[in-house]
Amino acid sequence: MNRNETNSLWLPGLGAIVLSGARPLFAIALALLASAGMIWASGVNPFTAYAALAQGAFGNIASLANTCVRATPLLLGGIGVAVGLKAGLLNVGVEGQIYAGGAAATAVGIIALPVSPWLHLVLAVLAGFLGGGLWATIPAYLRAYRGISEIVVTLMMNYIGLYFISWLVEFPGILAEEGAVFPQSPLVLKSAQLPILIRGTSLHTGLILGVGLAVFFFLLLRFSPFGFRTRMVGGNPEAAQYAGISVKRQILIVILVAGGMGGLAGTGEVLGLKLRLFDAFSGGVGYEAIAVALLANGNPLGVIFSALFFGALKAGANKMQIVTGIEASMAIVVLALAVLFVIAIGFGERKLGAIRKAKERNQTEREAQAYGD
Amino acid sequence: MEISLSFISDWLAASIRSAAPLMLVSVGGVYVERTGIFNIGMEGMMLAGALAAIAGSFFTGSTFVATICAMAAGGVLGIAHAYLTVSRRANQIISGLAINILALGATNMLFARLFPAVKTRCRLYPVLAPEGLHDIPFLGPVIFSQSVIIWIAFILPLAAAWVMYRTTWGLNIRAVGDHPHAVATAGLSVFRLKYVGVILSGLCSGLGGSALVLSELGYFAPNITAGRGFIVLAALVVGKWNPIWAAVACLFFGGADALQLRVQAFGAVIPYQFLVMLPYLLTIAALAGFVGRTVGPKTVGQPYDPERL
Repeated sequence: MNRNETNSLWLPGLGAIVLSGARPLFAIALALLASAGMIWASGVNPFTAYAALAQGAFGNIASLANTCVRATPLLLGGIGVAVGLKAGLLNVGVEGQIYAGGAAATAVGIIALPVSPWLHLVLAVLAGFLGGGLWATIPAYLRAYRGISEIVVTLMMNYIGLYFISWLVEFPGILAEEGAVFPQSPLVLKSAQLPILIRGTSLHTGLILGVGLAVFFFLLLRFSPFGFRTRMVGGNPEAAQYAGISVKRQILIVILVAGGMGGLAGTGEVLGLKLRLFDAFSGGVGYEAIAVALLANGNPLGVIFSALFFGALKAGANKMQIVTGIEASMAIVVLALAVLFVIAIGFGERKLGAIRKAKERNQTEREAQAYGD
Repeated sequence: MEISLSFISDWLAASIRSAAPLMLVSVGGVYVERTGIFNIGMEGMMLAGALAAIAGSFFTGSTFVATICAMAAGGVLGIAHAYLTVSRRANQIISGLAINILALGATNMLFARLFPAVKTRCRLYPVLAPEGLHDIPFLGPVIFSQSVIIWIAFILPLAAAWVMYRTTWGLNIRAVGDHPHAVATAGLSVFRLKYVGVILSGLCSGLGGSALVLSELGYFAPNITAGRGFIVLAALVVGKWNPIWAAVACLFFGGADALQLRVQAFGAVIPYQFLVMLPYLLTIAALAGFVGRTVGPKTVGQPYDPERL
């Protein structure tokens, strides 16, 4: 590589840091701009449309609550993806884990247990976490001990989960409600429902659970030995192996925990919002959660903001559709464009990193030479 | 459920119809993964192709124009995926995932814009039913009453296999996914081969989307592909990245799909959900090594960096 060229391209370290933090924000701005162009092309004033969107997302208590309700599964599922990303794993199976966790939580939530209501709720939530974790055991084992890509396996598990739930709520004697017109489970008992935070809205405690877990996982990954091992496996598995870390076990645990978080996303939906299990109840939220986690750069605290932003977008888009006639699915178009822009900009940063390394190498070579002389 | 000859011929004909879109997509899928690029965005490219085909057929009345529209829609998304994963070296899964979400949202928006509350049926692909052959018992309804796109879906994998295993260019495609640096040393452009592979998969996905909507349905519905792009990914694994075996796997999955529709209609011992799960279960089994040994192209998923060996 030409040395002069690298020097002229080199930016001060601070610039690179600012760039990395600003990247998702810049990408979101670009995505909103591109969508404004599409809105304008379909004959609607973008300002009117975005004003309606903001009104629908933040206009009053009900719309704020709606924003938070939409953000909750994105947050919980997004944490599941973020944890995996730290270990260099891409959990694209959130959708399947949502179904598995939702089914497990429903199974506990519809039985009248002889325990106090609080304990019933805790048990149902735990069941949801375990259900998601259990769903992830196959990809976790295959990835950790057989070296098979977790990506394809988790992707396939999504559809297995979708049809498995469809069977559970239809086949008599398992979770299906008797005499129901549509295939669905009975209602979750009152004692196992997540309490509503604001009366008259559907804002449930799942959001608090999500924010709490985001903080928990941030601290865990940043400051605990578990987090250190996870990051080391993600950064350089071979070095981790030499350092005495059981890489396989760490990968296994991380995928199981990630699956558990996906399961909690389904749990929140079932115990807090839908209150019963039915066919395809997630409807693609699991895929959106992956995008949300990527926009947060895999940082659990960042996932809170990323999830709230897209929760707002999804909540507001409904209002925008009523006011302007622009389809509400514009929300996920913005999400997808933002991810595409992030990875399109991403290259510059990595190139800078490579250049920095080359420069350091040159530096050491020069020093070694000077030492040799 | 009564098993009779007419039931079987009916089921086989439906299997072929259901498999044809998958087979078309799988041809592109084999090529793109052989060049070392994952394309989970085929689902979205197929969806975009389906809407473009309906729009083309609806507004021009020509299935030829509709086919071009569908392939163009898939191809444009293919170019986006190629630019991001080859030129920008972005993560292939993330790019594909974003393309799927984008296609889902954008087709919903455009469909609502283009066809406000109309459920018009569009012109379909012509049916090839030669005089005489059409009346042969059993074979007539199964083979000689299918639309032209289904014939294409059967010919394309054979042609693709010939190109892949009998031409130099096919050798290049097979080599670039396993040893990109060796290909570069031989003086070939790794970037160009990868671009061609990805765009080819976009074109094939678009074509598959048009086969899905214009062979018998004649209308579009949001998310009409419903995971068929992922079934193709499954077929690639089960068919070991060989155009013909991947097409056979698609045919098998199409058969399972046609069977599950009949199971749903008539009722049977096996719940239909387990038949629909089959492609995904088989893929995991194949990857885990229960069903033969499956090894994909060596560098699939990794970005190609000419400066790093």
